[in-house]
Amino acid sequence: MSLPCGTRNYKYAEDMAIVRTKTHWVLLIGFLVLLFTTPLYFSNYWLGVFNLIGITLIAAIGLNILVGYCGQLSIGHAGFIAVGAYTAAIITNRLELPFLVGLICAGLVAGLIGLVFGLPSVRVKGFYLAITTIAAQFIIIWVINHWSLTGGFVGIKVPYASIGGLVFRSESSQFYLITIIAVLCVFLAKNLARTKVGRAFIAIRDNDLAAEVMGVNLLYYKLLAFFIGCFFAGISGALLAHWIGFLNAEQFSFTESILYIGMIIIGGLGTTIGPIFGVVFIRILQQLLTIELVPLLEESLTALPAGFATGVTPMLFGLVIVLFLILEPRGLAHRWALFKAAYRLWPFSY
Amino acid sequence: MKNRRLLIGIVVVCLALMIAALPIVSACGEPDKAGKTLKVGITTPTTGKAAEKGAPMGHANLDCFDYINNELGGVEGYRIEVVWRDNGYDAAKVVTIVKNFMDEGCLMFTTSSSAMMTASMEIANRAGFPGMAAFASPILYRPPQHIYGQMPDYGDDWLVFAKYYMENIWKGPGKPKMALHLLNNTTGYGARDAARAYAADMGIEIVATEEHASTTTSEMESLTRVKALNPDVLYISSTPAPTAMVVKNAYELGMYPGITIGCGHASFTSAFVDIAGADIAEGVYGVFPTVNWGDNVPAMAKMTEYVQKLHPEDYEKRNMDYITCWAQSLIVAEILRLAVKNAGYDVLAKGGAEAWKAIEEQGIQKLKDYDAGGLHGPVSYTPGDNRLSKSVRVFQVQGGEIKPLTDWIDAPVVKYEDFDWFGK
Repeated sequence: MSLPCGTRNYKYAEDMAIVRTKTHWVLLIGFLVLLFTTPLYFSNYWLGVFNLIGITLIAAIGLNILVGYCGQLSIGHAGFIAVGAYTAAIITNRLELPFLVGLICAGLVAGLIGLVFGLPSVRVKGFYLAITTIAAQFIIIWVINHWSLTGGFVGIKVPYASIGGLVFRSESSQFYLITIIAVLCVFLAKNLARTKVGRAFIAIRDNDLAAEVMGVNLLYYKLLAFFIGCFFAGISGALLAHWIGFLNAEQFSFTESILYIGMIIIGGLGTTIGPIFGVVFIRILQQLLTIELVPLLEESLTALPAGFATGVTPMLFGLVIVLFLILEPRGLAHRWALFKAAYRLWPFSY
Repeated sequence: MKNRRLLIGIVVVCLALMIAALPIVSACGEPDKAGKTLKVGITTPTTGKAAEKGAPMGHANLDCFDYINNELGGVEGYRIEVVWRDNGYDAAKVVTIVKNFMDEGCLMFTTSSSAMMTASMEIANRAGFPGMAAFASPILYRPPQHIYGQMPDYGDDWLVFAKYYMENIWKGPGKPKMALHLLNNTTGYGARDAARAYAADMGIEIVATEEHASTTTSEMESLTRVKALNPDVLYISSTPAPTAMVVKNAYELGMYPGITIGCGHASFTSAFVDIAGADIAEGVYGVFPTVNWGDNVPAMAKMTEYVQKLHPEDYEKRNMDYITCWAQSLIVAEILRLAVKNAGYDVLAKGGAEAWKAIEEQGIQKLKDYDAGGLHGPVSYTPGDNRLSKSVRVFQVQGGEIKPLTDWIDAPVVKYEDFDWFGK
């Protein structure tokens, strides 16, 4: 990892540390203070948007581990999120077990289902694997719609999340719950990438044949990537279920799965910071277009045919994504890395 | 290279502006307590896969509020301020939209589709924020909470059609055999639940229950199975395009004409006749909770004037969903009028939980035989029943047009929650 000029490491622990300099610590603490005081500055609506961002981020981190680090293309992520959401709903609503039990089980069940659909990854890769994960999306949603335990097409109610006597009713209390779990997930993902497992994932992504020759067990690590990626999706689904309060299979559409892929590509594949950038960018863009731009255009462009401005919005959304892919295919994370590099060298750019 | 840098610069500046604008946008979202307006939230799927219905419904909502504000002077002298959002038929998006309505100080909100209300209802129920869905399914208000149905639900459609069929069409001995062809969501399952609850009592034998997706391109396989069971009547609860596909396939298989086909109100519009073709759709029955274009009812002239002026494309298609949401806006205005009269503007102006409670208790629950310009059946609140209008009429496609056969028929309240299979 590149460091600011003059920074040296004298111990292995220092070399391994994520936060190394005093500036890093100040920035990190400042960011966390800002993050955890967010409910003081924002309205309930924006806290709701941030909660959605937090929930989406957890799922995107999982997908990034699977696709970005291990190179296993999955286009059925919304299906795995649904598994987690419904597991949490069944455990807390039907079985009346505590939220934390539901949360852990949601991750584990989604991970196990991910293992099943990850089995083809041993024999197929690339677009062929993508097709099998698309199948996962549709099979999971079909089962949800036809299983009485999940409420079928009608759906299922989910109670508020609660730990002990603390019930997370308000948007701000849910914000703290979701943010803490999201921060933990980011930390876990960051560390995972630096472990033996993370390096094995990268080796498989870069050249699976070479990785196998060097002793990386492809079956084990590919399935492990599916399990971890889907575990995160399950956790995300559980939080989504408790946040929305009612589940219906229509909430986990194939379009959502595609959107998740878009998020990690825009953010930057195979980086920890990438999913954060991608999720924040897409979710904020969605909100700004829906809440601000469309009503404004509909009001001001009265000479145009009715509905024109509304129709323009999805095109604008697509255009922004296409522009990103053309101008910065390595994602916002790469742009961030360049910015940091420029900052480090300034004013001695050499 | 220079252009590339310029574009990257623009993207970076846009991002920075987006982030910097958040607190400002947030501040702008504070409820307007001092204003002399009554805010309502309207969300329609104007884009996305349900846009064929959502777009005209959104037009009708906004056109009608224009009419109320400009020609009637608002409600009790207060202008109605509409906060409109396109939900794109996206469940995640509609959740944040409803939160936005609450934050903006809206007194109540409406959705056009039952699916979007299903996705957001728990958010509203938890906060006590009253909502009204134009198209509803029993899950929205069984048991009743803070969500109301503007019109009878998809289960009511089946009940009324089945009653009409037994009294006016079925002449054979014994029980008629009915096959159900249902959209695989609450639209279809509302009808399935009603049939499950009452078919035996009404003397109807359900011989098949088939499902289809909203994107179906052929139902030959499912209809071949249905045909083998020799049904007397096929009931379809779906949206226009899939319903047209089922009817066309039934025609191609030689099932229709020969059996009776009935449709729920989510599909029985001019769009269905256009897609299926007038010759194929000829004779198909359907129920619908509003009048048709050109009917002699008090609200028709003004509604026609506005649609021709502002959205002629909806008038050319004789879109009946437009009528539904024009009536929805009239009902919202009446709810606001009652709430202002009974609770006072000051209570509503405070916004939040107290205002929402006033809207429900002093507005919605005071509705008694309100006539929405004759556009649909009388609107009343009955304790324990959150359907506001309970009547539909039976129509039939005749000569390529949808013609009414009956006057308003009331659908009974069904306490679905008393059945142990409901919601499973």
